[in-house]
Amino acid sequence: MSPQRTSLSALLLALSLMGCGHSGLRPQPGINSALQRSADSRRWPSMGNRWLASIASRNGRERVELVDLRNGQPVPLPGINQADAQPISVSVSADGDRIALIRSRDGRTELTLYRRGVGILQRLPVEPAGVPREVSLDGTGRLLAVQVSRKGRWDVDLIRLP
Amino acid sequence: MAAGCSGRSQRAPGSFLADQQQEPALSGDGSKLALIVDQRGRPTVQLKDLRGGGRLPLRHLNRHQPHSSPSLSWNGRYLAVIIQRGNRRLVLIEDRLNGRAHPLRLPSGRNAVRLSLAPDARQLAVQTADRGRWQVELLDLSGLLEPDRPGGLRRTTPAEAQP
Repeated sequence: MSPQRTSLSALLLALSLMGCGHSGLRPQPGINSALQRSADSRRWPSMGNRWLASIASRNGRERVELVDLRNGQPVPLPGINQADAQPISVSVSADGDRIALIRSRDGRTELTLYRRGVGILQRLPVEPAGVPREVSLDGTGRLLAVQVSRKGRWDVDLIRLP
Repeated sequence: MAAGCSGRSQRAPGSFLADQQQEPALSGDGSKLALIVDQRGRPTVQLKDLRGGGRLPLRHLNRHQPHSSPSLSWNGRYLAVIIQRGNRRLVLIEDRLNGRAHPLRLPSGRNAVRLSLAPDARQLAVQTADRGRWQVELLDLSGLLEPDRPGGLRRTTPAEAQP
C-alpha cells in the first residue's frame, strides 16, 4: 500500500472514530454523562435554547427537572413537584422561564403552567372538558398546544396565554 | 399550589375533520404546528400554518411511517421527526428552506423514542432506551444545520463565511 493510501485510510478511520460518520451529528459526552449520573431514568425531553426540561426518576419518584445546559446543573423549581402528583408531559419555553406541565393528581389529569420567575404553578382550564395527554409550548411561552381526549377521539387545542 | 388561570382556547385547524390529531409541536414563534395524523392507518406527520391557515408541504415525509414525536425550530425551517426505516427508528430532519433531508443514526446506536429540537436548531435531545432505562442524549447539530433564530437571521453572512 502506498504511503498516500495509508495516510488516507488512517484519516478515514480517525474521522469515523470521532463520530463524523454520523453526518455532522456530534454527541456531547460531558453533559450526557452528567444527565445519566443525575437520575436513574430520564424521559420526555423538551429543549429551550440553553435549557433542557425532562421528567427524571430517582428512587422510584418522578420529578420535573430543568437543566441549565451551560453548566449541566439543574435549577430549583420550587412548587412544581408535589408528592401526590405524577408528571405526564412537559414543555419549556425558549428562555426557560415557562414550563407547561400535564400531571396526574388525586385521580385527575391536569394541565398546568409554571412560571419560574414567580415560582407559581397555575392550573389551566381545558374547555370543552377533556383529558389532556401531551403539551407543547411555543418559544415565547405565550401559545400552548395540547392534545386532549374527548369522547374517544384525540383533538389538539390551542390556548393563548397572558 | 395550583391556581386558576385564564387563557383563550381554540381548536387547532382541522380539529373537526375525521382525522385524529396527536403529538402537537409548535414552532418557536408559534406560527406553525406539527401534528401526527392517522392517514389510512399510518401515523403521519403534518405541518399546519397557524397564521395563513392550511397545510404546508413536506417533501420527504410521505413515507417511512409510522412517524412520531415531531419537533420544530423557531421559524419552522426545520422539522425533526422519528421515522421507521426497516426495523430501526431513526431521526429525520427536513430542512424546509432548501428541501434537504438529514436522516440521522444516533451515535449510541440506540433507537429514538422521543425527541426535542432546540428552538435555534443547535441541539437535539433524544430519548432512548438503554437496558430497561430511559435516557436522554443531547446531540450537537451545529456542524450539520444553520441556526434558525427569531427573524430568520443567520449568524454569518455569505461574505463573512468566505476565507
